[in-house]
Amino acid sequence: MSKKKNAFLSMTVFKVAALSAAFAAFAFYTPRFTNDYSMMIMNVSLINFIAALGLSVMLGMGGQLSFAAVSFMGAGAYFVANLTNGRLGVIWEPVPVLAGAVLFAAFAAWICGAVLFRLGGTYFTFATIGFVQVTWSVYLNYKFLCGGPDGVSGIPVIRFLGMSPRNYHDWFYILLGFVLAAGFLIERVRKSRLGRSLASIRDNEIAAQTLGVNIYRTKVIAFTIAGALSGLAGGLYAMHNQFISSDLFTFDMATTYVIMTMLGGVNNTVGVFVGSILVTMLPEWLRPVQRYLKLSYGVGIILLMIFMPMGLAGLCNAVLKKLSKRILKKTRAEPDTLGWEK
Amino acid sequence: MTGKPILRLDDVSKRFGGVVAADEVTFSVFPGRIHGLIGPNGAGKSTLMNLISGIYRPDGGRIYFDGRDVTDAPSHKRAVMGIGRTFQTPRFLQRSSIRDNLLLGADLGSGYGYTASFFGRKVTGFEDYVEQLLEIAGFTFEWEDDISSLPYGQRKLLEIIRSLLGAPRVMLVDEPAAGLNSREIENAMGLLDFAAKEKNIGILLIEHSMDMIMNICRDIVVINFGRVIAAGTPAEIQSNEDVIVAYLGRNLEA
Repeated sequence: MSKKKNAFLSMTVFKVAALSAAFAAFAFYTPRFTNDYSMMIMNVSLINFIAALGLSVMLGMGGQLSFAAVSFMGAGAYFVANLTNGRLGVIWEPVPVLAGAVLFAAFAAWICGAVLFRLGGTYFTFATIGFVQVTWSVYLNYKFLCGGPDGVSGIPVIRFLGMSPRNYHDWFYILLGFVLAAGFLIERVRKSRLGRSLASIRDNEIAAQTLGVNIYRTKVIAFTIAGALSGLAGGLYAMHNQFISSDLFTFDMATTYVIMTMLGGVNNTVGVFVGSILVTMLPEWLRPVQRYLKLSYGVGIILLMIFMPMGLAGLCNAVLKKLSKRILKKTRAEPDTLGWEK
Repeated sequence: MTGKPILRLDDVSKRFGGVVAADEVTFSVFPGRIHGLIGPNGAGKSTLMNLISGIYRPDGGRIYFDGRDVTDAPSHKRAVMGIGRTFQTPRFLQRSSIRDNLLLGADLGSGYGYTASFFGRKVTGFEDYVEQLLEIAGFTFEWEDDISSLPYGQRKLLEIIRSLLGAPRVMLVDEPAAGLNSREIENAMGLLDFAAKEKNIGILLIEHSMDMIMNICRDIVVINFGRVIAAGTPAEIQSNEDVIVAYLGRNLEA
């Protein structure tokens, strides 16, 4: 028992070490080999990760497919835009406004979740599609708060203790901070009672109830957390791009977030991170074949669902398991084959 | 009967369309005792369990737990109050470790909320309790192994253990012996016996294995077509005319 426990522990330590190293390398090398434009796209993919992470709480942990991430991103983005660029006559400090945007989006998600989770399963998913259409048309047409089709421009960048990012490279590090914070938050959720309760709802609602899980309340809490993360992502996007419009919050974008989550691994934070970067960067990398981009997307998703339903992370885990089995076999055979001879 | 019942069904009825799955069922479960619930296939045994644990709402009658009327309480509240259960086919978290699965039961037993749990409140002592229960259950496992690595019989035993971790006062156990080998059946009986004797839990046991029922139950309720047709000790049940008819059919010439 203890031997295997040790093996497991050392495995975890190894995993954590490898991940930290990979992340450090990512943080260190990416800005050095990236021009300003690519850096901007990379930053957007980090922002997307934060929103996709909310989705992975809903879909990966809780098994509830929601498209509403863009709705709450919009809520956060317009909240920040309106209160920092002076179009409503107020110019408030970016950081408190960002915190406000998170709370605002969370509150909106809480109300919305409390209503939509009266529906179960697929009906809930369809309702979120309707919700996205509603919020999109509000963002598109409501001149007073959303600027109508022109969107809102002139949003100031984030500023903290008098310091502001000078370029996209500075932004990169700021966003990495948010990415880490969001990632740790979600990992903590996964290992706490909320994460387990969500998983029990995903796998068997009846068993979940008999284990004392309040299904409705738990779903609404997960939806609220997802909304808060989306709001944060939206607020950051507004400050980062300094311009927002309803184009960012369409149903098309909503499906993109779902793809990001699914590609990397629906229930795996690192997987979602990789998925967000891949899906955001892909249009840039595939610029030469842009005409076929959507086509390859579609085919890719179908193949993905058939061959790796748990995304890249699932694939990775399966390969690791196979490898470790093989290695274990080898070490067991070692004393006989490599004994005294060499 | 002595003592106060922990669970009481009072004229509980449930209809599915034209089918009467429970027809004015009345019986009680006492703490520290194992009650058998038997009847032919389709008699309404599992329906009764679902009514007790709140998956279904009864059309009529009341259900009392610990003297309180819980007829309208949602099932998760009943679980928190202390009505635990297992299923005919075990229901676990897929692609999860055994630890996570057992923690779900321990979460219920601990009563810690999401916030406390998020800020690092850990369930303590549950590993020792699990080790103690495993000794009775007669098998061991690695905590971090995937739940699917356990054979079927052990998963069924593990579900009883998970339910016990939730510190229930009543346990509804649905066909624990189905699909188990004889040694595992013995261990399942050991677990139920421990739950009743050491933890003073009132157990309602559905089982087709008459061996098991007659061995560990002090009281037996027999239902057929949703109705209680007999109740009593194993000896009484075995010689009851109605029960024999329900199980074997009536001899037309007699």
